[in-house]
Amino acid sequence: MAVRKTKASLPDANALARAAGLDKAVRQFPEDVAIAAQSAASARGAAGALDQFAAEPWPPMQVRNVK
Amino acid sequence: MTDLHWLTAAELGGAYAKRKLSPVEVVTALLDRIAKLEPRLNAFIKLDREAALAAAREAEREIRGGRARGPLHGVPVGIKDIIDVAGQATTCHSKIFLKNIARADAEVVSRLRAAGAILFGKLSLHEFAIGGPSFDLPFPPARNPWNPDHHPGGSSSGSGTALAAGFLPVALGTDTGGSIRNPAGNCGVVGLKPTYGLVSRRGVFPLAFTLDHIGPMTRAVRDAALVLDALAGHDAADPGSAAVAHGNFGTDLERGVRGLRVGFVRHFHESDVPAHPEVTAALDEAAKLLKREGATVRDIRLPSLQELGGVSRIFMQAESWTVHAKWLRERPGDYAETSRRKLMCGAFLSAGDYVHAQQRRLQLTDAVNAALRDVDVLLCANSLDPACRIDDDAELARTYPRQARSPFNLTGHPALALMCGLSKSGLPISAQIVGHMHDEVTVLRAGAAYERATDWHTRRPPKL
Repeated sequence: MAVRKTKASLPDANALARAAGLDKAVRQFPEDVAIAAQSAASARGAAGALDQFAAEPWPPMQVRNVK
Repeated sequence: MTDLHWLTAAELGGAYAKRKLSPVEVVTALLDRIAKLEPRLNAFIKLDREAALAAAREAEREIRGGRARGPLHGVPVGIKDIIDVAGQATTCHSKIFLKNIARADAEVVSRLRAAGAILFGKLSLHEFAIGGPSFDLPFPPARNPWNPDHHPGGSSSGSGTALAAGFLPVALGTDTGGSIRNPAGNCGVVGLKPTYGLVSRRGVFPLAFTLDHIGPMTRAVRDAALVLDALAGHDAADPGSAAVAHGNFGTDLERGVRGLRVGFVRHFHESDVPAHPEVTAALDEAAKLLKREGATVRDIRLPSLQELGGVSRIFMQAESWTVHAKWLRERPGDYAETSRRKLMCGAFLSAGDYVHAQQRRLQLTDAVNAALRDVDVLLCANSLDPACRIDDDAELARTYPRQARSPFNLTGHPALALMCGLSKSGLPISAQIVGHMHDEVTVLRAGAAYERATDWHTRRPPKL
């Protein structure tokens, strides 16, 4: 299984954090923001690439029977 | 007779039935022990002395009046403080939830009350069940009774501590990435993460919806079965609850492992993420022992620990971010540093990452199910290292992810943690027994057989 390598640089991470509304965290805890961004990149990288792009996600859509 | 504070729930029930002990006597003795040792161990966020004594008196009246409710009647239980108890704060060990008073009992608490269990109070945890041992929160972190300078594991830290210290015979934990099995392992007790959906999540503050489990922590496998009997069952108010019929989970506890097929997931701890040599040796010994007891043990391959762990982390990060985004935006300084770093991760994942993880989840779960087709249970590592010092941030950061628990939060399989060794430094080492979906009976059968054949469950922390 191929490993996808994606790592946000610090300016990218700050921009993404601001886009997510984390302006206060970027100002007060820049190191924590950088570590969180790295952890997300690490999980994404470890999750492995998919051979079948049309594979059904889990759980599949299910209707609820409510009357 | 064993010291009263080390009695198991099953032993207490037996002693009550024979009138050798009374719930009031037991509760009083445990409260005395807690008063003496709790200042060193911090297992509780709130100890409810008066309520425990009142419940003990009531249980005593009922049992002596011939109205015993079952094996948990009069048995003391602690509740991880992320689980609602009506009228009490569910703090989640966080500044953010100090005034979060629960209006109703969580379903699991209702079930324990109905079974006659005596609630002792709320147990400490890692903030919102995700942080780590933190010193920048309103409550101190729980300590490991085997060595208070070391980490008791988490996030159900207080639950593990309370059991290993002889404060309680039963505690509830929650497990999203291993939070029952990590403290069970570090504290040398038993922790069962049931199949996803077997135990209702209603009234438990979510961490990651599709990974969250609630389960028993005890000092004996038999007790885990008894508590699961009380907890399990469909709850229409929990959308993830499974409508699956079940009988008594302890049915096969005496059956032994003769003829049982065990798949040893050696690659997790030997090649995927090489474990501490003492952990490897303890796991080898556990496999040999099961073989000596009559099981067929063979090596088996699952997807890699890195891949299972990576996909699991995407769910943890994305779903916990969804829960905490508002507070992280408005009051990031009210979280402990460790929690903030873990809870903000989801801000850096895309919708595509999440759907990709869902696709991978199906494939990986299918792969684990396929491997299980040829065996009855899996034997694998729990933590890959003995517990490190609680104040060693670098070692905590290094060792915390070195575990084989989160794969089974991802797939939903039942997994039992139990002690299988003691490191040279005097800290517990633990293994996991993992079963087919909804086959807790066989998982507990294997665990009970292992327990009978060893004396790890009789070891106690020194100096307690």
